[in-house]
Amino acid sequence: MGGDKVSDNNSMILRMENITKIFPGVKALDDVSIDLYKGEVLGILGENGAGKSTLIKILAGNYIKDSGDIFIDGEKFEIKGPAEAMASGIRVIYQELNTINNLTVAENIFVGEQIIKSPLKIVDWKGMTKKAEDLLAVMNVKLDPNAIIGDLTVSEKQVVEIAKAISQEAKILVMDEPTAALSEEETQSLFKIIRTLKSKGVAVIYISHRLKEIFEITDRVTVLRDGKKVGTLKTKESDSNKLVEMMVGRDIKDMYPKRHVPIGEIVMEVNNLTAAGFDNISFNLKKGEILGIFGLLGSGRSSLVNALFGANKIKNGDIFINGKKLKIKSPSMARDARIGLVPLDRKAEGLALMMGVKENITLANIADLGKSFLIARRQEYKKAGKWVEEIGIRTPSVDQEVNSLSGGNQQKVVLAKWLESGSQIIILNEPTRGVDVGAKIEIYKLMQDLCEKGSSIIMISSELPEILSIADRIIVMSKGRFTEEYKVCDASEEGLLRSACL
Amino acid sequence: MVEIKTVEVSQKKKTRLNNTVILFIILVVMFALFSYVGRPFFFSKLNLIPMVSNLSFVGIIAAVLTMVMVSGEIDFSIGGNIGLTACLTALLLERGLPGWLVVIIAIAGGFAMGAFNGMLVTVVGVNSIIATIGTMFIWRGIGYTLTNGESILALNPVIDYIGRGMVFQVIPFPIILLVVTFVITYVIMNHSKWGRRIYAIGANPLASFLSGINVKKVKFIGFLFCGAAAALGGLVLTSLSAVGMPQHGQGQELVIISAIILGGTALGGGRGQILGTLAGVLILSVLYNFLTIMNIYYFYIQMVQGSVLILVVSTYEIRQAVARRRT
Repeated sequence: MGGDKVSDNNSMILRMENITKIFPGVKALDDVSIDLYKGEVLGILGENGAGKSTLIKILAGNYIKDSGDIFIDGEKFEIKGPAEAMASGIRVIYQELNTINNLTVAENIFVGEQIIKSPLKIVDWKGMTKKAEDLLAVMNVKLDPNAIIGDLTVSEKQVVEIAKAISQEAKILVMDEPTAALSEEETQSLFKIIRTLKSKGVAVIYISHRLKEIFEITDRVTVLRDGKKVGTLKTKESDSNKLVEMMVGRDIKDMYPKRHVPIGEIVMEVNNLTAAGFDNISFNLKKGEILGIFGLLGSGRSSLVNALFGANKIKNGDIFINGKKLKIKSPSMARDARIGLVPLDRKAEGLALMMGVKENITLANIADLGKSFLIARRQEYKKAGKWVEEIGIRTPSVDQEVNSLSGGNQQKVVLAKWLESGSQIIILNEPTRGVDVGAKIEIYKLMQDLCEKGSSIIMISSELPEILSIADRIIVMSKGRFTEEYKVCDASEEGLLRSACL
Repeated sequence: MVEIKTVEVSQKKKTRLNNTVILFIILVVMFALFSYVGRPFFFSKLNLIPMVSNLSFVGIIAAVLTMVMVSGEIDFSIGGNIGLTACLTALLLERGLPGWLVVIIAIAGGFAMGAFNGMLVTVVGVNSIIATIGTMFIWRGIGYTLTNGESILALNPVIDYIGRGMVFQVIPFPIILLVVTFVITYVIMNHSKWGRRIYAIGANPLASFLSGINVKKVKFIGFLFCGAAAALGGLVLTSLSAVGMPQHGQGQELVIISAIILGGTALGGGRGQILGTLAGVLILSVLYNFLTIMNIYYFYIQMVQGSVLILVVSTYEIRQAVARRRT
């Protein structure tokens, strides 16, 4: 494909040529080549299972390629392990942050590489703080080197990870879904850092599902699908339809399919609710409606939905379900009131990863698996099989450990759990985080199917295009307070962001 | 792709089954070997009956403790519980209480001790390792206080029968207790709703809570029955030795936990099989018995037991690491 080159060959810093990696039974990477130039940001785009992380792990020395060559600065280079990758200036920042919570910023940046004062070989605290300050200044961020990591926000922790990476002469910086846990605002400050690094000649590989970010930050983008390279485009010369089509291999007309669902009477009313993390919130939810909740990190949106679900103790205020006042003291009471929660972190809060698909689908309704104290296996298979079929969970069987499913299918398993439990009010906290484009669209469709069948949905989302397209109404929170309510037709990205910073 | 994944599923299932099956194969081989090397005494009534009676009291407790461990908790106080139950039993018999009443009181005492542990862990929120190490000392301390540290004769027809009775003149009564305990715990863990909750909590307590499972209740009841099982074990041991003394059961908590871990239960919870625990108990007990009758010095026996535990658990880790690398 065209557009492979942005500048002269001399500045090519990395070339991975015809890389193939085979796992038992699966060709994870099939003859994939990428190249990377000094001072550019290369986006790598692809659905889950497309081979993005395998490619990165080969670069980082975590996997050994089966065939193909890697050239760094034009010279052939065998990466046999993480140490060699590090030595050649490759730094990878994974999705899961590896900061140590009870150490300071400076200690984290120099962990394992402490600056030593001779001759006593003691740690040079002053020198370390100074050097950390310099590093943070290079990145153009204000952060106290002596702050404890545990007190920082997710995005600040990410900054520390980046500082750690560039403290050791990074030539190639790989970022795997760096914005998964960031708000819009924080994403912007991350981009600022990336641009600064870029201007200093660092080459960045940027992996993301979010097309908007790909357009904003990358110079070129390579698309992978099913372990093969589909092509590389100059970002300026591509558009989202084109990229999505390359990713999923078919034409996607609409990223955010929105149907008109008639909205009925009020099913949930929340009056002056107060709990840890938020104050005095009131709103209502109508039948068939998707209510969006928007807010930046720390706005109290997760605390709010956890309180609605009985997982965060309510201090004050009332909840009415179908006109009846209800004191929800535990998730089991919420479940019995036909409320379901698809939590923020599905691996930590939503799934028993080492258990099967069927066990997870019936997790909230074990009592309903047969009349006696024994589990009616056949009934369980039937129930699980029904949801696998109905909402299209792609799994070889209902016995499959959910650990091995893709993010989108895992999310569907969590949703199936609440469908099995007959939930009428379904709360989804960032439903499409870490989910690939194809599965995202399926989740949006599914949400609207549910609304058509008479359920109501509360959706927290920090993805502006998503919330603006899928929600019927949006309430905005900031610092634990309600700030504004929008009908979706009156809402704009700027408006929501402004309200979220009030 | 889909077909390939299906193959993986069946492989995974096979390995999980294999762990327990392999343990039983090891057991059979061991038993055959010991019968030959230790002939004629090892495979004789004179040896086997005391051996199975002894392993019964370990097995009864191990089965129930497996449930606690799969839920992600642990109970170190079982040894202390055995000691206190033994003292209590002997003292009540000394006071002239009828045997059946003593049994009821002893089991009730076990429930009470279990409830105390459960409360510490689920209501107060103390880590179960710490809570039950604490109560382990407390129970034994109470035993020493009640008896002034002395052994008390515990002879009574009912108590005698619990450890030394013979059903149909061939089956030792403790074996009946053992089998019943394993059947019940097996059904609970592998087929009941309750067992499903235990596995789910062990696999992910937060997700279980957020799915409406009463995590604290499930854990509490685990401790409750673990206390009762330990008391039952204490009764068997008292009967076998015909005395109640506070030293009874000392160190047994580690033997029992070793057997459970040998059987494949994960310390962090979520994984574990009742049959694996049975195999673990049998292997350690048979090995111990064999080494003892071969007149191996007790110090060496301890080293062998420890090595077997480490060896088996190391192979689990290695197999897991291999499986992980494959995916």
